Amino acid sequence: METISPSHYLFLALCLFSIGFFGVLLRRNILLLLMSLELMLNGINLALVTFSRTSLNLDGSIFVFFIMTVAAAEVAVGLALLVALYKKRQSVFSEDMNLVSN
Amino acid sequence: MVCSKHPVSAAMFMIISLVGVASLFVLLEAFFLAVLQILVYAGAVMVLFLFIIMLVDVGPNAGKSSKMKLISGLAGAFLISLLIVSFLIIVQSSGWIGGGANWSPIIEGAEPVIGDNLSFSTSVKSFGYGLMTKYMLPLQISGFLLLAAMVGVIVLSKKEEQNTN
Amino acid sequence: MVQVALSLLLLPLLSAGITLLFLRKYGNIAALLSVASAGGILAFSSFLIFGKDSDQIFSWSTTWFQLSDWELSFGFLVDSPAKTLLFVVSFVGLLIHIFSLGYMADDKAKARYFGGLSIFMFSMLGITLSDNLVMIFVFWELVGFSSYLLIAHYFSTDEAANASKKAFIVNRVGDFGFLLGIIITYWTYGTVNLQELSVTANLDPSLTSTMLCLLLACGFIGKSAQFPLHVWLPDAMAGPTPVSALIHAATMVAAGIFLLIRIEFLFTVEALKLIGLAGSVMGLYAGFCALTQRDIKKVLAYSTLSQLGYMAAAFGLGLPGIALFHLMTHAFFKALMFLGSGSVIHACHHEQDIFNYGGLRKKMPVTAYTFLIGVLAISGVHFLSGYFSKDAILLGAYNLDFVIFSILYLGAILTSIYMFRLYFLTFCGETRSKSSENAVESSVFMTAPLIVLAVLAVFGGFHSLYPAQIVEYLLPDISRVAEMPHHLWMNILGLFAWVGGLLFAWKIYGSDTQSKDPLELKAPSLFQLSTSKLFFDEVYLFYVNRIQDPFFRFLEVMELLFISGLMVRGSAGVAALFALLGKSFYSGKIHHYSFWFVLGTLGFLAYAILGGGIS
Repeated sequence: METISPSHYLFLALCLFSIGFFGVLLRRNILLLLMSLELMLNGINLALVTFSRTSLNLDGSIFVFFIMTVAAAEVAVGLALLVALYKKRQSVFSEDMNLVSN
Repeated sequence: MVCSKHPVSAAMFMIISLVGVASLFVLLEAFFLAVLQILVYAGAVMVLFLFIIMLVDVGPNAGKSSKMKLISGLAGAFLISLLIVSFLIIVQSSGWIGGGANWSPIIEGAEPVIGDNLSFSTSVKSFGYGLMTKYMLPLQISGFLLLAAMVGVIVLSKKEEQNTN
Repeated sequence: MVQVALSLLLLPLLSAGITLLFLRKYGNIAALLSVASAGGILAFSSFLIFGKDSDQIFSWSTTWFQLSDWELSFGFLVDSPAKTLLFVVSFVGLLIHIFSLGYMADDKAKARYFGGLSIFMFSMLGITLSDNLVMIFVFWELVGFSSYLLIAHYFSTDEAANASKKAFIVNRVGDFGFLLGIIITYWTYGTVNLQELSVTANLDPSLTSTMLCLLLACGFIGKSAQFPLHVWLPDAMAGPTPVSALIHAATMVAAGIFLLIRIEFLFTVEALKLIGLAGSVMGLYAGFCALTQRDIKKVLAYSTLSQLGYMAAAFGLGLPGIALFHLMTHAFFKALMFLGSGSVIHACHHEQDIFNYGGLRKKMPVTAYTFLIGVLAISGVHFLSGYFSKDAILLGAYNLDFVIFSILYLGAILTSIYMFRLYFLTFCGETRSKSSENAVESSVFMTAPLIVLAVLAVFGGFHSLYPAQIVEYLLPDISRVAEMPHHLWMNILGLFAWVGGLLFAWKIYGSDTQSKDPLELKAPSLFQLSTSKLFFDEVYLFYVNRIQDPFFRFLEVMELLFISGLMVRGSAGVAALFALLGKSFYSGKIHHYSFWFVLGTLGFLAYAILGGGIS
């Protein structure tokens, strides 16, 4: 049986990232959109940790730490905005949030 | 997850995938990050998501299906496949997909710093060392970012209260 | 002296400013203020003329503004010709102001009228006192402006509005040449100051050129309404009569002659000859046109043109002193006649057709007799003012240039014919219309200036009666003419001219009471030719309509097509296209943005792969 090599991890990371991106492009629900963003970030994290592990360098892992921090902050603010918008427009769908008239 | 119609089930699938990533972290011997992944993502972020989903109360299929959706979906898929292909081309041409097949073992009890680089280790102690020395400034900035996010969220929700009053 | 000159200049400006700012609604106060300022002008100018050191030339200047090394000065030059004109302007100006009190008594826009008069006095004094060409040009434009204002006093009538525009535009043509002349003068001599110019020109007479003189004379041609820019003056009679008297007879149109005298040293022989010839032809032509005019003021306007032609001829003969002399006497008798016609028009309720007058001598004796004095003076009856100046011109012409003389002499005969025609039709015979039946003698405000001017028209020709300062400039030329031969012969010819004109006019117009011009019955072709004014207006109209307008329309199309269309709209269109492109990105839809984001990422990747970024 073939051993699991770093390139497998990388491929998985790419898949995660792509699925997340696919979600961002496809979904209209902003909640799911934010979740998809999280998924993309996870893909990145995975790739970073893999690189960190193969090159025996802790910097990548520490970056993952920072990415998690930023992601948490982003989710908090994004959800707050979402709630505020929902109160105003009674909708969480991105096409209802178009303020540009055309 | 991205295909599920109900946001709650989407969130559940999300938790599964997050836990999966955490287990992969364990396999990569980044135990601290795995714990963090579970705590922050699966614990805090997803709970927040679920909470908001319950709060705004979106139904399973509230989104309007349109031709636009189909077209953009197809275009998205096309773009993603293009992205993957081009990424694979890069990886292929750089030639280390085969060379990365071996895992170099982790040196136990190595010095935390080798040259300019922090050495990889399973201990939380080396994380702390790295954050407090080389990444001192980014650590403080991210702390500040968290503070700003907190203030922002408070302001946003408070303003809404004033409006509703 | 500087203070006197400055206050002389600023007094009417102050009066105009106060009138236009505060007294728009108080016509009577404005009128009194304006008349008072005219009186002040007379006082100041007599101080300037007769004050101590008045036998010397007074000049003073200060820097007005500076553009790098080019400096423009503001200064006064009060030499002998300036003193003569100063006397004429302030004296006649005051009389006409007083006359206006009576003439404009019932006018609704008195304040505007008197404000305009004050502006005119200011600008006219400015021309008189200026010591450099640029300043003269500034005041030149200002008199044009005030003339425009005053012609358009009755702006509700089309005639006045069109006439004011015509005057302004025709003057622009002349002033353009004048401006070019000033620029070339500066280029050639490096200065526009009159005194410095005269020094330089005398040192090196070869610097000047006929071209330069003619360009400068363009200003004179426009302002003095000489050929070919004479068409505006008859139309300018649409303004109030005192304005016609002051601006379009006595002072402003004479400013052209004054300008020529100021820059006399620049003129070449050829330029002088041309001006003399053009002036004499103008004298004849205007007299010919005046023969058949029906409007009393237009007859006088053509007569003014003709007399200005005489002045130009005198100047062209090299007798600028005589030109100034004739300017002065002409100012007296022409102002007298214009004011007389104003008095008649006022009495006849603004009826201006001389065939609707008649028999006014008995109803308006003062006006009639003073008018008669004016007619006699302009016709050159012996020992009246016109005789001295006009016969001096004729005598000079006889001895210097016979062609000019013969043209001028014909003009002189015509002058007496149309002048006596005017007098007979207006004041003799029987009344021919209702409006003139009810005419009564005008008020004392109007008759008093008439009497004063009549006295001047009688005695104004005796130069020894004037204070020395005023006639200083005239004397050399007068004595030069006095030493010429053929005096007696000239007297006989002059006598023949005015008596012949008198008899001719009496024969045709003296006993006739019809409302149709008898000349039309007797010599219809000649009459037609004269009424057509030799088709100058038609030619200009043809030029404007057929040549200028199509050309402008062509230019307009070009402008619409290329500048407005291609360049302005075109560049705006290109910008708008870019804006449309940019706008399409800004759709407000999150998914569109993310698509573009992906495309951008792909672009970077493609660059990384294809551009050989990877080593």
